[in-house]
Amino acid sequence: MRIGIDLGSRKVKFSVVDNGAVVRLADYDTLGFYKRFGRIVDEELSFDLAATGMFAAEELASAALVVTGYGRNTLDFKGVKVVSEIRAHVAGAVFQTGLKDFTLLDMGGQDTKVALVRGRRLDDFVMNDKCAASSGRYLENMASILEVSLEELTSHWEDPVPLDTTCGIFGESELIGQILRGHPVARLCAGVNQTLVKRVLPMLRRFPSPHLVLTGGVARGGAFVRMLEAETGSPVIVPEHPQHNGAIGCAVIE
Amino acid sequence: MKKTGFTTSIPIEVLLAAGRVPVDLNNLFITSERSQWLIDKAELEGFPRNICGWIKGIYAAVLESGIREIVAVTEGDCSNARALMEVLSLKGISAIPFAYPGDRNRESLRIEIEKLMEQFGASLEAVMEAKTRLDGIRRKVHEIDRLTWQENLVSGQENHYFQVATSDMNSDPDRFEEEIEGFLQAVVSRKPFREKIRLAYIGVPPIISDLYPFLESRGARVVFNETQRQFSMPYGITDLVEQYRAYTYPYDIFTRLEDITAEIEKRRVDAVIHYVQSFCFRQIEDMVVRRQLSLPVLTLEGDKPASLDARTRIRIESFLEMVREKS
Repeated sequence: MRIGIDLGSRKVKFSVVDNGAVVRLADYDTLGFYKRFGRIVDEELSFDLAATGMFAAEELASAALVVTGYGRNTLDFKGVKVVSEIRAHVAGAVFQTGLKDFTLLDMGGQDTKVALVRGRRLDDFVMNDKCAASSGRYLENMASILEVSLEELTSHWEDPVPLDTTCGIFGESELIGQILRGHPVARLCAGVNQTLVKRVLPMLRRFPSPHLVLTGGVARGGAFVRMLEAETGSPVIVPEHPQHNGAIGCAVIE
Repeated sequence: MKKTGFTTSIPIEVLLAAGRVPVDLNNLFITSERSQWLIDKAELEGFPRNICGWIKGIYAAVLESGIREIVAVTEGDCSNARALMEVLSLKGISAIPFAYPGDRNRESLRIEIEKLMEQFGASLEAVMEAKTRLDGIRRKVHEIDRLTWQENLVSGQENHYFQVATSDMNSDPDRFEEEIEGFLQAVVSRKPFREKIRLAYIGVPPIISDLYPFLESRGARVVFNETQRQFSMPYGITDLVEQYRAYTYPYDIFTRLEDITAEIEKRRVDAVIHYVQSFCFRQIEDMVVRRQLSLPVLTLEGDKPASLDARTRIRIESFLEMVREKS
């Protein structure tokens, strides 16, 4: 049995994999998780996993722990194996989709990664740098300005209002300006989703391949998937557990 | 002796022949203990946030240092240098333009160098004498470079340091030569590095401070520093004009890539780090680099003087993992 942990910027994700099958998935808000269960002792980060109540004592005693995620290379972890995010995500996507050759687009709270996978192995990758405007956090901000839920925001794709600002913060005032012009909320939501598509397309164009796999929290938004398919002209494959892909990858990585 | 600053490598033979102390303003800025503060100072004076950190750093470093005379390379490097020259002239600093001809035309370059000689009142004899002197030092630095890739005795950081310093010979050729000789004597008794991954570093020198040691801590060593090596005039050319025609840095990316490709092969490089400065036109050239090189390329972007941030570390680690798995 193996437990995979993905320390994301917004959520900490867990997976328990036994005999090649996902037994259980869980997640926790990152800040709350660090506050309650995390501790730094002698420059090593340790988590009181037993106190989370998510794992049985025998699971923690017998399972191998593999961790990935943000901050993993600024701190050492006590008694666990650490892998890079990109490897974890590729392993998770290979496991979940069964594909050998594909382009992986992972969109999380802050990071957007695009990886080219050939023969089940990472061949090349790019990550957003310096700017996190194409991220889940951006969607959360926009949802709160539009006073809609994240689910509502990510469901609209028709007739998007064009939004041009490249900065996620200035984008807020642009959106407010468009609200004042009286555009319906649905079209504004679609506009927000379209900005996300525009920002990831240049990264995707670097690695054309027969299949596009989408993971990360953003993959849960139906409108984004639909608009991405329209732009790339090919179907987007979203695995069963997009948000837990990194954690699953940790638990299955060789 | 009067100090003369310059914005990127120029024929320093001319400065030495004229009895000036050459100061590479990039080195002056980046080696300052207050390099971050220098950028803040330039921004407070009105430099835009989205302009290259080197330009801002140089601006404030010149004012701090009391240097009153600079040579600004207005062609062959970035056009920001032209505006830099203009704002510095407002502060009473005399700025002499120097242009590398975009088409690498020998005649145009000869005229540019002669203009510079005239400006500084340097005779051809004195310039050629200075070249002979500098070539002696350069050859010793070339040996450090050879010991880096062929004998594996020199770290990426040391290779970077000695080569980058050739742009102004640390403002004191004699002392710099002594430092080189001391290093050459000490380095031969070292045990060779045995890292798994051999890297090429291409692009302008990094504004990030701890890149080389970080790479080495992850089992990868830079065995080729492209631009820094160019500063050391690596081809051993005796003709002054030809030397600065062969110097690839101020010319087009394709000229640079010819040199890069040959060195990558000779030095048995596994992967390439392409460093680009935020807001620099060379970021566009990354497209060409990626298309023309067959090796894995990691593009790193730096903005202000700092150590590697957590995100860049993640990207480097993942890249090295990938290279390791491929080989």
